[in-house]
Amino acid sequence: MAKADNEVRINQAPPPDREILRMEKKKALKESLTGYAIISPWLLGFFVLVLGPILASFYLSFTDYDLLSSPTWIGFDNYVQILTNDPRFKTSIIATLVFVFVSTPLKLLFALALAVLFNTGRKGTGFFTTIYYIPSIIGGSVAIAVVWRQLFGRNGAVNDILDSLGIAGLNWIGNPDTALSVLIILVIWQFGSPMIIFLAGLRQIPTELYEAASVDGAGRIQTFLKITLPMLTPVIFFNLIMQTIGGFMLFTQAYLITQGGPMDSTLFYALYLYEMAFEYLRMGYASAMAWILLVLIAIITIIIFKTSSRWVFYESEGGR
Amino acid sequence: MKMNKLKAVVMMFLLVGLVTIMVACGGNEDSNANVNNGADNSADPETNEANNGDSGENNSAAGDEEDVTIRVAWWGGQERHDMTIQAIELFEAEYPNITVEPEYTSWDGYWERLSTQAAGNNLPDIINMDNSKLMEYSSRDLLVDLQPLIDDGHINMDDVEDVYQDINVAEDGTVMGISLGANALGIAENKDLLAEHDINLEPGYTYDDMIDAMHKIQDNTDEEFFGFDFGNSEFEMFFVYARQHGQSVFNPEGDGLGFEEGTLVEFFDMVQTMVNEEAAASHDIMMDYIDGGNSMLGEGKAAMNMTASNQIIGIQQSSDMEIGLNVMPSIEGGEDGNWIRPSMSFSISSHSEQHEASAKFIDFFTNNLEVNEILQADRGVPVSSVVREHLAGIVDGATAETFAYLELVEDYTSPADPLSPAGESEVRGSFQRVVETLKYDQATPEEATQQFMQEAQAILQ
Repeated sequence: MAKADNEVRINQAPPPDREILRMEKKKALKESLTGYAIISPWLLGFFVLVLGPILASFYLSFTDYDLLSSPTWIGFDNYVQILTNDPRFKTSIIATLVFVFVSTPLKLLFALALAVLFNTGRKGTGFFTTIYYIPSIIGGSVAIAVVWRQLFGRNGAVNDILDSLGIAGLNWIGNPDTALSVLIILVIWQFGSPMIIFLAGLRQIPTELYEAASVDGAGRIQTFLKITLPMLTPVIFFNLIMQTIGGFMLFTQAYLITQGGPMDSTLFYALYLYEMAFEYLRMGYASAMAWILLVLIAIITIIIFKTSSRWVFYESEGGR
Repeated sequence: MKMNKLKAVVMMFLLVGLVTIMVACGGNEDSNANVNNGADNSADPETNEANNGDSGENNSAAGDEEDVTIRVAWWGGQERHDMTIQAIELFEAEYPNITVEPEYTSWDGYWERLSTQAAGNNLPDIINMDNSKLMEYSSRDLLVDLQPLIDDGHINMDDVEDVYQDINVAEDGTVMGISLGANALGIAENKDLLAEHDINLEPGYTYDDMIDAMHKIQDNTDEEFFGFDFGNSEFEMFFVYARQHGQSVFNPEGDGLGFEEGTLVEFFDMVQTMVNEEAAASHDIMMDYIDGGNSMLGEGKAAMNMTASNQIIGIQQSSDMEIGLNVMPSIEGGEDGNWIRPSMSFSISSHSEQHEASAKFIDFFTNNLEVNEILQADRGVPVSSVVREHLAGIVDGATAETFAYLELVEDYTSPADPLSPAGESEVRGSFQRVVETLKYDQATPEEATQQFMQEAQAILQ
């Protein structure tokens, strides 16, 4: 190939198309090299801090590793043990699924309701949008979790209010029947970020649709059901996926408020994984759990994607 | 021109990338060395200052010795942190060539931090160990044998009785740690509350006497009263209970359990009945107090509290009622179940390169009178008889109570069990979960016993 190239160049004196192509190619190569060089710090971070640990955890999931001594290869033992002989794995899966499937729809409902309310463009909506967004900025933080523990504690504000209404309070966090709801309420309360995304979605809906509807005499509820909701489905879809995945990985709040208790009623998957890894130093086992979680999240995401063709409405596809 | 500029930029980025790669991929030891060097340098000014300040008196200690830095890790509450840091300052004044970098956290994050450091070959020089973890660390060669450092005089153990140090010595004579103080399990009691209800439980009282006393207060008080506070220490309590039956939680080999099923059923039955009959605080109330960092006993909401003797120092500080210590309840015709626990110790990690400096630090904590005055026996009654006698004359209040208690409890002790096996923390976790279901009345004592024994045996195998 190179030889032929040379011959061509000798035979034809003026720079032919081919030569220009070569120059172009060289330039393109240079440009992409420059690109890589510029993002190299990020790439490096990705390979060293993200990809490396991912591969390491995959390897460790086939080992017995306690951090203090070196890992020993045990094949699929961890996976077999988790899936067939670990009652707490089942407990944690059930707690997590209940949490995700209760908290996510409620959170989205709240976010959507408030977004619709704030989309009217009345005075002061900007202020309230900000106020309502604040919980989701500070929500993951330690301080809020501690506040929550106080609020729902035995002598907390919630019980004080109930007391003044003549209702006997209870220890919300210490009661196996209510502890999970305390966490669900906390997470629903942090509806700010899906709300902002809904707001953006609502502003994208062309006003002429609403004008046409009002000319036809459609009421507010009808407009909402027939125009707003269908036009918003891509945004709902996006929020649903993000919040579902986030729900599966909930850790901070549960770790700080209930630590999985009482009686494992709030033992979320991530908590159990953490307990195995850092309290009992069963790193191999915990790594295998992490990979099972990945598969689980992938399956649920795929299911949501599959159903999306039935209910998500894309304008660009002519309505389907 | 433009091209050159671009070239320069590209070259720069490539260079930065390359250097980062080289640094990142450099061996572990290299990066450790960097860290240590950095620490040395940053610490230099301080050391020099100390040198100048003490130039008169401490020349003998300083000598021409090389400047070294040692890292010391411990867990505890704010009180202990303050006292230990003060003690470290005293040490640094005494040994100007040694800089001590403290690494302290609460109990919760402590072992997680240590195990990650162990995995990174970066353990601190001196580790505050707990008896329950000693085996785990020692069996993985993470601790240095201290016997040579004792033999060559760096750690003076002349005044330390064997009873305090035996537990830190492995079968083959390896010294895994030096005890930081002795305590024993016991019952902290609210003396004011007991006196108010005319209750006097002399040592030798039984579990039934204790439960009766709780009922008596419960029946005669209008205040909120929860009775007995297990203090989340049911596992420790069963340790004593099993020993009182001539059994033990773990078998001597550490690969199984060492008690009979019936013993645990009895114990679980007692726990459950106490909670159900309101002779003991329910689980949610107990955890509410613990999570909030409060003491039921100190507030007068509980009359007795399962605890370790040194902990009453903290309880007393937050209470205006008088807190005392009593021995654990006995079993009629049973054996002595308690034992003197030098539960905390200092060990030198095998990642340390400063064995001598670390040994000096441990020796300082063990034998120096002044530093023990600062530390206030917070980690337990000092193990050196000289220090103990010196302190006994000075301390008062709750600290004095712990000194007196350790003498009292001696009559109720039997030789300590061997150190707990490496799976202890997981077995404890299982025990606590089972106790939770019991206290919430979700399992019978028989079911709970079955579940715990199955889980524990699987863990220990």
